[in-house]
Amino acid sequence: MVGEKKWTPYLLLIPWIIGIIVFKIYPFFSSLYSSLFEKIGRTQNFVGFKNYAQIFTSSDMIGGRFINSLQVTAIYVFITVPLILIVSLLIAVVLSKKLKGVGFFRTAFYVPTLLGANVAVILLWRNLFENYGLINQFLKIFGVKPVMWFGTGAGAMTSIILLRVWQFGSTMLIFLGALQNIPETLYEAATMDGAGKVRTFFSVTVPQLTPIILFNGVMRLVESFQVFNGPSLITGGGPNFKTETMNLLIYETAFKMRNLNLGNAMSWVLFVILMIFTLLIFRSSRHWVHYGD
Amino acid sequence: MNANLINKENQQINRKKLKTKENSDLYTSLPRLVMRYTILIVVSFVMLYPLLWMIGNSFNADMPSSFSFLPNNWTTEGWQNAFKAPGWGSAEGYSIFRALWNTLSYTIPNTIFTTITCLITAYVVSRFNFKGKKLVFSIIIATLLMPNTIFRIPLYAFWTSKTMSGLWEGSESAIRAYIPLWSGAMFAIDSFSTFMFIQFFRTIPRDLDEAAYIDGANRMQILWHIFVPILKPTIITVALLKFISAFNDYQGPLIYNSSVKTQPLSLVLPQLGVDSINTYSMVYSRAIIAALIPVIVFFIAQKYFMGSDTDSAIKG
Repeated sequence: MVGEKKWTPYLLLIPWIIGIIVFKIYPFFSSLYSSLFEKIGRTQNFVGFKNYAQIFTSSDMIGGRFINSLQVTAIYVFITVPLILIVSLLIAVVLSKKLKGVGFFRTAFYVPTLLGANVAVILLWRNLFENYGLINQFLKIFGVKPVMWFGTGAGAMTSIILLRVWQFGSTMLIFLGALQNIPETLYEAATMDGAGKVRTFFSVTVPQLTPIILFNGVMRLVESFQVFNGPSLITGGGPNFKTETMNLLIYETAFKMRNLNLGNAMSWVLFVILMIFTLLIFRSSRHWVHYGD
Repeated sequence: MNANLINKENQQINRKKLKTKENSDLYTSLPRLVMRYTILIVVSFVMLYPLLWMIGNSFNADMPSSFSFLPNNWTTEGWQNAFKAPGWGSAEGYSIFRALWNTLSYTIPNTIFTTITCLITAYVVSRFNFKGKKLVFSIIIATLLMPNTIFRIPLYAFWTSKTMSGLWEGSESAIRAYIPLWSGAMFAIDSFSTFMFIQFFRTIPRDLDEAAYIDGANRMQILWHIFVPILKPTIITVALLKFISAFNDYQGPLIYNSSVKTQPLSLVLPQLGVDSINTYSMVYSRAIIAALIPVIVFFIAQKYFMGSDTDSAIKG
C-alpha cells in the first residue's frame, strides 16, 4: 500500500527470521556437518562418509538394524498412507450427504484423532491387542482362536497401523471441506449422462478431489515416515525389531547410545529418501492431478 | 405483467422445492439410506467402543476379560486412587494433577505463542508487498514438508550446550525446565499453522483492508480490528490443533525431561503399567483424566471449529 515505510514488513518478520535461522536452517546444516564426524573421547574427528558406510554395511550391528528399519518404515508407510486416504475419503463421501445426525457422526469420528498420539490411547491400544484384550474377545464371538498380536512381526505391525488408521479424522475433515466445494452442476451433468453412483464417484468426485488427495497424501507421507509413538510405546520395536521404525532407531542411537553423529547420518538418510518420494509424487502429479478452471 | 411475475416466482419456488427434495432424506431410496446409516453406525462403533470399554473397565475391580464394557466387579477404587495416590517412579506425593500441570506448562505457552507469531507472519506474507516475499513463502512451504527428525538431534546439542543449558536444565519449575519445548513457538517456527493462516487470508477480499488503510488505520490496527474478528474460527482451529499436538507430544518431553518432579502426563502414564500395585481400574482412570483434557478443550472450541463450516483450510 502507498506511503508505507519499506522496512515495516521486515520488522514484523524479525521473529520468523530468527526462528527459521536458529530452529531450522542452522540445525539442518549442523546435522549434515555432524554426520561427517566421529566422537572419540571428547574430540570430534572428521571421518567423511564413514558413518553412512557404517549404517549401510550389514555386517555391523547398527547396519543390520538400519536396513531393517528402512524396510519396517517402508511397510508401515505403504500400507498406512493409502489405507488412511481410502478410509477417510469413503467416510467423507458418506458424511457429505445430507443425513440426519450427520453432525454427531462427524464429531464421533473425530474423537480418536483428538486423542491422537495421547499416551492414554496408546496404553489402551496395548491392552486391546493383548492376548485377552478386546480384539481377541471380539474374535472369540466368531469362534476365532486368540491371536498373539505382539508375538509376530505382522501382528505387531497390524496393531500400530490400525492405531494410525483409527485416527483418520483430520484427513476426513479436509476431504469433507473439499467435497462441499465440488459444484453441484457436475453431478447433475453426470446424472443426465446416465452415470450411476459408482461411475459418478470415479469420474466426478475423484478427479475433482485430486489436488486434495495430493495434499493429504504428502502430509501423511511426511508424518508416517517419522512414526514414533506407536512403535515406541506399543511394541517397543519388537518382536525382534520387526516394528523398529527409522525414527525409533534414530532415537535409540542418538539419545540412548548417545551417538549423535550416527543419529544425524541416519536422519539425513531418512530426509533424502523422504525428499525423493515427495519429489516423485509432485512430478507425477502433473499426470493425475486435475486442477479446476 | 403481474401474472407473468407471479408465474416466475412460482417457478422459482418449484425449483427450490425440487432442489430441497433432491437433497432430503425422503428422496433418497430406502435401501441406500439404510446402507449409509449402517456404514455410519458400524464406523462409530469401531471409533467409540474401545473408549467406552476403557471407561467401563476403569470401574472394574477385576482384570478386563470380556467384550462387554460393563464391569463384572464394580469398584470406584481406581478413581479414588487416581486423584490422591502417590505418583510415579521414585517420587512420592505427586498426584496425576502435578503431571497435568507439567504438561500444561509447555502446552499453553506453545499454543499462545504459535497462534500470535504465526498469525503475524502469515499476515505479512499475504498482505504486504516487499522484496523477498516469494522466498519467505517458499521457505515456509519447504519447512512444512521437512521431517522434524532432521532438526531434533542438532537442537538437542544446541540446548545442552554450555551456553544454553543454564537456561533450563535441571530446573524445578516445569515452565523453565521445558523452555526447549516451547521457546521456538515465540519465533513462528510452526509452518503448518502459518500455512493455514495464509490460506485463510487468501479467501478475504483485499478491498476490505485497503478501504480501512485509506481511512487512516495502520497495519496493526487493520490486523486487530478487521482480520482477527473475521479469522476467529481459523484462529481457534489453529490454536486447538496446536494445543492438541503439544499436549499429546511424547518424544519432546522424553528427550528433554531430566527430573521426576517435572515429568508430564505423557511420561508418567506409560510408567503406570498394570502391576501388583496398579490395577487396571487405576491405570484406566488415570488414562481417562489425561485423555479428557483435549476432549474438553475440543468441545469448548467446537462451535468455531473449521470442520463445522463448509470452507476448507486448503481452498487455493
